Amino acid sequence: MENNLSISNYRFSENKKALEPLLWIGLVSIIMFFAGLTSAVIVSSTNASWKMFSLPNTFLYSTIAIILSSLTYQIGFMLVKKNNVIVPKLLFITTLILGLAFIYFQYIGLSNLYQQGVYATGSQSSNSSSFFYVLTVLHVVHLLFGIISLGVVSTKSMMNKYNRDNFLGIKLSLTYWHFLGLLWLYLFFFLTNMMSN
Amino acid sequence: MANSAIAHQESFISKYIFSRDHKMIAKQFMITGFTMGFIGIVMSVLFRLQLGWPGEKFWINDLLLGSWANGGVIAPDKYLALVTMHGTIMVFFMLTAGLSGTFSNLLIPLQIGARDMASGFINMLSYWIFFVSCIVMLVSLGVEGGAASAGWTIYPPLSALPEAIPGSGLGMTLWLVAMALFITSSLIGSLNYIVTIINLRTKGMNFMRLPLTIWSFLVTAILGVLSFPVLLSAVLLLVFDRSFGTSFYLSDIYIAGQALERFGGSPILFQHLFWFLGHPEVYIVLLPSLGITSEIVSTMSRKPIFGYKFMIGSILAIGGLSFIVWGHHMFVTGMNPFLGAVFTITTLLIAIPSAIKVFNYLTTLWRGNIIFSPAMLFSIGLISTFITGGLTGLILGDATLDINVHDTYFVVGHFHIVMGLSAVFGTFAGVYHWFPKMFGKMMNNTWGQIHFWITIVTAYGVFFPMHFLGLAGVPRRYYTNSTFPMFDDFVNLNEIISMFAIVAFIGQFIFIFNFLYSIYKGKKATQNPWNSNTLEWTTPVEHIHGNWPGEIPEVHRWPYDYNKPGYEEFIPQNIPLKEGETQSSH
Repeated sequence: MENNLSISNYRFSENKKALEPLLWIGLVSIIMFFAGLTSAVIVSSTNASWKMFSLPNTFLYSTIAIILSSLTYQIGFMLVKKNNVIVPKLLFITTLILGLAFIYFQYIGLSNLYQQGVYATGSQSSNSSSFFYVLTVLHVVHLLFGIISLGVVSTKSMMNKYNRDNFLGIKLSLTYWHFLGLLWLYLFFFLTNMMSN
Repeated sequence: MANSAIAHQESFISKYIFSRDHKMIAKQFMITGFTMGFIGIVMSVLFRLQLGWPGEKFWINDLLLGSWANGGVIAPDKYLALVTMHGTIMVFFMLTAGLSGTFSNLLIPLQIGARDMASGFINMLSYWIFFVSCIVMLVSLGVEGGAASAGWTIYPPLSALPEAIPGSGLGMTLWLVAMALFITSSLIGSLNYIVTIINLRTKGMNFMRLPLTIWSFLVTAILGVLSFPVLLSAVLLLVFDRSFGTSFYLSDIYIAGQALERFGGSPILFQHLFWFLGHPEVYIVLLPSLGITSEIVSTMSRKPIFGYKFMIGSILAIGGLSFIVWGHHMFVTGMNPFLGAVFTITTLLIAIPSAIKVFNYLTTLWRGNIIFSPAMLFSIGLISTFITGGLTGLILGDATLDINVHDTYFVVGHFHIVMGLSAVFGTFAGVYHWFPKMFGKMMNNTWGQIHFWITIVTAYGVFFPMHFLGLAGVPRRYYTNSTFPMFDDFVNLNEIISMFAIVAFIGQFIFIFNFLYSIYKGKKATQNPWNSNTLEWTTPVEHIHGNWPGEIPEVHRWPYDYNKPGYEEFIPQNIPLKEGETQSSH
């Protein structure tokens, strides 16, 4: 146990075995954050002024992109654990591209909504459209951290830093990425159900 | 010791400012939290002057408040700002960060047998984000329009429309920024506490050997991780309403006869989100104090804590129930009576684990060899306020009774006793008890006792009469009640309350003096001055980063082996069982 090393051998750097639980508990707090927001949607949807609108197809494309990105990332991770260091590089880059594609499709989707007259703010907006913009943008904000971690993983992978004995960084990033994928699936079905006609 | 010096050289900046050592970060939280607490208490004394002697001129107002009190009388809108900032500072900055930040940081690694927190960097970050949030909150006092004035609960629309009242402008914006920072600090701190307790316990320290302090810090941190994000979501929506033109909390509103363009939202939504944090927040404030009290009551009674497993169960039950009672703050919002009944039942259920805790405290004290140290006195004081405040909680938890006293001084008296005083007493108890561990010196016992008696008498003098004001219908947050003839009979009572508040405030200088004097001139502490069993007392008096110079001690028993029949008067956790000795029954 690192914790039981005598002080001369103890390194005051971050405790590696604590990183995974730190991430998991952090994810719980993100779940509560979005639970607060989506419960606010449920409460607000009972107001008479709640308006429904049509969701552009691009949100479906972004959903497909994030599902595919989880698959490529997972396969890459499994290959690293089998000490395959060549194919994962390609898969991590593919994941990064799919992640960026997700953000692009979200942007196009929101732009389409704007062109339809579904506004985020102002006197012509409604609470439903405001919530839609807020939730999708906040998800993207969280995703940006995932993109950063993917960038780090991809770069380190190119430098052959990972192998079957050293993959904690990928595991942490992968967990976060899967979580963001699941979070979007939840938001997508929730928002479709609550706001789309 | 030589090893430690080789292992970990520290500069002045890395040791005292951007320290990653949990003990130093604990001190930083304490100094900052207490400073904020002092500012919050000064505010309360100033607005008590107005309540006790409405319209009277006071030179102290001129001196401290300047343009907020032209001619020595606090302006009505600034009175609201003072009340709001007092509540905010005391609840969040003093009793959440000041209390939990101090003792969770100090005691978690020391009592579980860890070199430091799971992440020293995150721990440092948590403190400095808290520090910045304090600065932003204090800066908001000096901006145009004044500080936030919508009450510490910042209900919309007062908080959602910058034009609502003077404090709704920049002051409110800074309040929100400060709270967003505060929540971030609290969240990452809580993450660290939970992971440290789960992952870094020393060999032999299983969960049924954890001191009750650690159990209470663990549940407190879990409450924080689950509830603060919801407040963050509420605050975020409020920011959008204020600054970006949404209407999440804005229903049909007319300003000077003109309908607001934005509508369709509900201010009640904010209350739901706010109180989903707000009620667990009561226990985020209270549980650490209850944990501290458990430790001190057992140590200073020289007896094992009574009902260890039930104490753990009670902490877990209180934590769990705290998430399903928030509606009792909203009985008068037009809530469906059936839902009100549900919240009444869930609220009253909390009385069960609370009563178990009180019962166990009293049975631990019963026939103990009680040492009336200042820490013990404040712990007994906490038990007292937990009972008296808890009893009035039964009234406020029942929808049919609560409606009669809602938003009156009854509520103010209740939560100040059960949450404010209990948490403050727990904080004082903790400081007196672990001062030797923090500073290697002893605080003066006599001054500590005087401090306790002045504090408990004056605190009850302030908050107990408020129940009578509330029962008579005197509303809270009013600038003055002197314009309402039906409250004329209570003018003298308000004067008395204010006098007690002033004496209580002056009495705290005894503590401040004792604290500062003892750091420099106090008697040098021995390694285990209270003959306590927990691991922190096995570390050297002089601090080292890493806590133990050699191996971390292994744990062989629970922490409450005091006066075990046939054995020593106290047996620290790191002492192995003797031949034929059995583990104490929990």
